Amino acid sequence: MTSEAEKILIVDDDADFVEALSAFLEAHHYVVLKAYDGREGLKLAKMQQPDLIIMDIIMKERTEGFFTVQEIRRTPELKTVPIFAVSSLYSQVPDFGIAPDSSWLGHDEFLAKPVNMSELLEKVQRHLQERRRNAEASAGRKAES
Amino acid sequence: MSEPAEQETIVVIDDDYAMRLSCRKILSKMGFRVEAFEDGGQGLEGVTKLKPSLVVVDLKMPGISGMEVVTRIHEVRPEIVLVVITGYPTIDTAVGAMKCGAYDFLPKPFSPDELRLIVNRGLEHRRLSLEMRRGEMERALLKRRFITFVSHQLQTPLVAVHQYLDVLKHLDNTECAAAKRQEWLDRCLKRTEEMQALIKDWLCLARVEGEFLSRQWVKVDLQQTIADILRTYEEMAATNGVSLESSIPENTYLVRGDRNCLSVVFDNLIVNAIKYNKPGGKVIVSAEALDGEVAVAVADTGVGIPEKYRHLLFEEFFRVDGAENKKTPGTGLGLSICRRLVSEMGGSISVDSEVNVGSIFRVRLLEYRAQTEEVENKRSSG
Repeated sequence: MTSEAEKILIVDDDADFVEALSAFLEAHHYVVLKAYDGREGLKLAKMQQPDLIIMDIIMKERTEGFFTVQEIRRTPELKTVPIFAVSSLYSQVPDFGIAPDSSWLGHDEFLAKPVNMSELLEKVQRHLQERRRNAEASAGRKAES
Repeated sequence: MSEPAEQETIVVIDDDYAMRLSCRKILSKMGFRVEAFEDGGQGLEGVTKLKPSLVVVDLKMPGISGMEVVTRIHEVRPEIVLVVITGYPTIDTAVGAMKCGAYDFLPKPFSPDELRLIVNRGLEHRRLSLEMRRGEMERALLKRRFITFVSHQLQTPLVAVHQYLDVLKHLDNTECAAAKRQEWLDRCLKRTEEMQALIKDWLCLARVEGEFLSRQWVKVDLQQTIADILRTYEEMAATNGVSLESSIPENTYLVRGDRNCLSVVFDNLIVNAIKYNKPGGKVIVSAEALDGEVAVAVADTGVGIPEKYRHLLFEEFFRVDGAENKKTPGTGLGLSICRRLVSEMGGSISVDSEVNVGSIFRVRLLEYRAQTEEVENKRSSG
């Protein structure tokens, strides 16, 4: 197990949102990659292979993030990367918007905006820990065979 | 890494075997799927089945004529790009084909390069118009979900502010330097201003729509209206390095309108002219009399508006895409408010623009005349 810092990609069209979240995550020793639209996000994800992705699903009033999440899932090497979908459209108001179902969107967590930092950190840590465990397990299996 | 784009299909309809063969050869090499048919009937069937992006049609064929093929395809599927080829090129046939819906015209004989050029241009045209249609549909959908949309617009800056405050609370001084704190607080202020602007515009729009604003049609001296607004934005202009000037003389251009409406209109136009300007730029307001109307021009030396966006400019929530504009706050409501108010006053608004040179917004308003008032009074009392 290397102690290399884990990489988190944030994709959001609001530069302030990206700045605030990355400052918080960087303070917790993660390396943060930033993208401001879906296309850029997809490119960075393919190039940099982040360990976790935080993606706004409604960007510039369009559902661009939805498609980007699905596109990421279609990319073989990104199939298992944890994706946190975030949006302000699905918060607070009951009946108005129901958070998208992960079975069709393919994300792992849904966080309503504004994102609660403690909740975010807890979920990031949990998913990354699980990912490390899975990676070790599969490395172990490979070593055995 | 990126997946190859879905292969586009091109249909060639020509009774000449050699022509079909060479078109197929040239276009296949460009990466298209090419299907060729030897007469109009088969061609139309093929087009229905294959849904191609582009069709190359020979005008002179036995059976169904090329012109008719063009007309029929254009009627059913206007998004298919139609390129007409003919061995007997005349201006009349070219114009006729264009009228029937052809996109372009290629006289025989032509070189492979000419065919390639025309096909590429046609497909680019198709992509642009499809994109535009998609954009229009999206906006129509947005209008229907006005409330969802406005709340999202309001929530975006609110979320940013919340997120900054939350981070400031979570991180202690060692984790986040004083300079960063200051920067974030500044951003918070900026974003709250953005929210205020949105609420202001939103209320203004609601007033316009609901006619809560009682209108008073009076004589208004444009010189005063414009001078007042320019004074209000002197500081903003100075911050942006933009100079403001008005060449409208006093007591010369009198229009008939509502004072508040006129202020809102020119307020919006002048603020835009400052915001979308460049350092060292200018905003010039001028007026001229045009048979019974006064045309006011608000000209800037700013970024300009690409032609493809101009027809959407006065739509609600429309904002020009682009890296530069991301930095400029705006609600996408200002110009739609302007258009409504101006047309309510019996006037019109239009725009001329050149990218990187500037834009001129022209507002035409009814000239104030003492007689018109009298005539109308007589009419309403009689």
